[in-house]
Amino acid sequence: MSERIISYRAALNEALVEEMERDERVFLMGQDVAKFGGVFAVSKGLQDKFGPKRVFDTPISETLIVGGGVGAALAGARPVVELQYADFALVAMDEILNKAAKWRYMHGNRQSVPLVIRAAEGMFGGLGPEHSQSFGQYFWNAFGLKTLMPSTPADAKSMLKAAIRDDDPVLFLENKALYNRRGPVPDEVEVDPIGKASTIRNGTDLTIIAWSSMVAVALKAAEALAEEGISAEVIDPRGVRPLDTATIFNSVDRIGRVLVTHEGPVTGGLAGELIAQIVETRFDKLLAPPARVAGADTYVPQNLELERFIVPHLEHILAAARKLAATGKSSTQ
Amino acid sequence: MEMTVDQLLHAFRIMERSILAEQRLLRFIEAGDSRVLLHSGRGQEAIGIGACAALRDDDMLFYSHRGVAQILAKGILLDELIGDFLGRIGGATGGLGAGIVHAVDPKFGVMGSSGTLGGGFVLSAGAALGAAKLGDDRVSIHLFGEGSANRGTFHEAANAAALWKLPMIWLCENNGYSVSVPHREATCIEDVAQRAQAYDMPSAIVDGQDVEAVYGAVKEAVERARSGCGPTLIEAKTFRIRGHYEGDPQNYRSKDEIAAAKLKDPQILVQERLAARGVGEDRLEAIRQEERAHLEAAVATAMSHAKAGEAQIYQGLLAGDMS
Ligand SMILES: Cc1ncc(C[n+]2csc(CCOP(=O)(O)OP(=O)(O)O)c2C)c(N)n1
Repeated sequence: MSERIISYRAALNEALVEEMERDERVFLMGQDVAKFGGVFAVSKGLQDKFGPKRVFDTPISETLIVGGGVGAALAGARPVVELQYADFALVAMDEILNKAAKWRYMHGNRQSVPLVIRAAEGMFGGLGPEHSQSFGQYFWNAFGLKTLMPSTPADAKSMLKAAIRDDDPVLFLENKALYNRRGPVPDEVEVDPIGKASTIRNGTDLTIIAWSSMVAVALKAAEALAEEGISAEVIDPRGVRPLDTATIFNSVDRIGRVLVTHEGPVTGGLAGELIAQIVETRFDKLLAPPARVAGADTYVPQNLELERFIVPHLEHILAAARKLAATGKSSTQ
Repeated sequence: MEMTVDQLLHAFRIMERSILAEQRLLRFIEAGDSRVLLHSGRGQEAIGIGACAALRDDDMLFYSHRGVAQILAKGILLDELIGDFLGRIGGATGGLGAGIVHAVDPKFGVMGSSGTLGGGFVLSAGAALGAAKLGDDRVSIHLFGEGSANRGTFHEAANAAALWKLPMIWLCENNGYSVSVPHREATCIEDVAQRAQAYDMPSAIVDGQDVEAVYGAVKEAVERARSGCGPTLIEAKTFRIRGHYEGDPQNYRSKDEIAAAKLKDPQILVQERLAARGVGEDRLEAIRQEERAHLEAAVATAMSHAKAGEAQIYQGLLAGDMS
C-alpha cells in the first residue's frame, strides 16, 4: 500500500477532515480552532471546508468546552473539543472525571458519551509549570474514559479516527514535541481498535516500554544499544486506558528484563503502576529488577535550559538499559 | 481625574521603562539569548501604570500575562525582570521563570500571576478577603483581558466579592481579542463592565490609552474599597499593537486595524498631556536618557549573576527551601 511522509499535525488534520466527511454529527469546538486553525495549527482549513456550524471558536471557558461536549454527546452529536493545553483539563476536571467518565456507569449503563477531548500536552518549548505537564498518569483511575497518547503520525491519524468513532469518551493527548515530527502514513489508514499496544521493534535482551514523546527516544536508544550488542524490543502502549497488558506481558515473559519510560514525573507515574502489575503477576519471569526512566519529581520551569533537566533523555535510557542488561540472572531457564 | 505633573512625569518614566524593556527583551529573543514566549503589552501600558499610581506599595497586584508595564509600575526591579528573562539566579524567580509571568516582589505587593487564565479572579478576591479578615486596609487589584472574563471563576468571584464587600478592584484590559477571537465573537455584551450590574457592583468604563483616566477611575475604586464599600469593576478600552505572541501571523485582523492601533499609542497621549501642562521636551528627553542608562545598568546587573542550573529545579517546592 502506498504511503506519504507527513507531519503528526497534518495527520491529525486529515483524521478530522475524514471523520467530519464521514459523519455529519461530528463537530469541532475550542479556542482559536476556527479561522486561526488552532494554536498548534491542527485544525487549519477546517472551518473553510465545513463551515462555522461545524467548526467554531469558544470563549475562554474550559469548563463549558468539556461539559458542553459531554452534553452534546449525550444529545447524540459526536463532538471533538480542543483544550489549547492539556494543563487546562484541570479547570474541567469535574467534567472529565465526574461527568464524561462516570455518566454511563452512574446512570445504569443506558447512555453513551461519544466525546473526544483533544489536548496538547508535554514538556516542550519553555512554556512553564502551567503549560507543560504530561498528563496521562492522572487518568489511571478514570475507568470510564479512554486515554490515548499517539507517538507517530500514522498512529495520530488512525487513533484519532478510532477515537471519534468510539462510543466512549476519549481523552486524546497530543504531545507538543511531536507536532512537527514527520513519518509515513498509509493512504488508507487502518482504524485499529483502541487499546492495542504497538511493538515497534523486536529484541531479545530487554523490553523498553515507552509512551508518547519517549517512543522516538527509546527507538534511538535501541539502535545505539544494538551497536553495543544489546538487543532491545520497543513497545508503545499508545495510551493509558485501556492498557494492552497482553502484548506487554508477553514480551516481558520472553525477555525478562524491562525498562519503562515516559515524560511525566517518575513518582506515581505510568511506569510505577505498570511495573507493579508486572511484578505482581510475573515476578518469576523477571531476570532483573525493572527500571524506570521518567520525568523529574518537580515542576517544569519556564526556562528552557532548566526544562531539559526535567525531561528524560537518550543518555538516561542508555545508562539504565546497559545497567539492566548487565544485572540479574542470565536466563529464565 | 487629573494627575499632578510629578505623577504624570513618573507615569511617562515608567512607560518609557516598559517600552525600552520590551524592546530589549525582543532583541534577546531575536539574538537567541532568550527563548521564551513574550506577550507584548505595547499599546496597553497606560492601564497598569495609571492603576498603580493610585495604589499604595502594600496593595496587592495580581497581574496579567500582557506585557511588563503592570509589574514595573508596581515596583518590580528591572534587573530582576531581565535577569529572569535570561534565566539568571538574580532574576525575580531565581532564573526559573525566564519569562515575565511569574515575577513577584512581596515588598511592593506584586503577588504573581496565574498562567491558567481566570485563576486571578478567585485569588484576588481571596487576597481581599485575607486583608479584611486580618483587619488591615490593603486592597487587592487584578488586571485581566476581556477574554479571560469568560471563565466561570469570574462569576464565582464577582458574586462573593460583592456579597462580602471585599476590598478589591478588577481592571479589565479590553483589547478586543482573545488570541484570534474577537471580543464580540466570545460574548454578546459590548462592555464587560455591564456584568457588574448582575452582582450589584459599581463599574466604570475608561479610555485605556489615557493614563489619567485610568488613574482617576482606579483612585475612586480604591477609596471605595478601603472604606469598606466593596469591589469595583473597571473596563479600560485598549489596543494591542503587536501580535498576541511574538510570531503571531495576525491573519485575523487587517493591517489598517493595526495601523490605527498605533495611532492610539498611550505614549503619544502622555507626552501631549505633559506638553499641555507646560513640561518642555528637554525634561522628557532627560528622562528618556536616564531610562536608557537605567536599562543598560539593569542588563549589566542581570548578566553579572550566574545562570540557573540543575540545582534550581528542586528549589522552592516547600517553605523549608526559602532563603
Ligand atoms: C484557562 C486558560 N485557557 C486558555 C489559555 C491560553 N491563552 C493564553 S492568553 C489567551 C488569550 C487571552 O485573552 P485575553 O484574556 O483577552 O487577554 P489578552 O491576551 O488579549 O491580553 C489564551 C486563550 C490560558 N492561558 N488559560
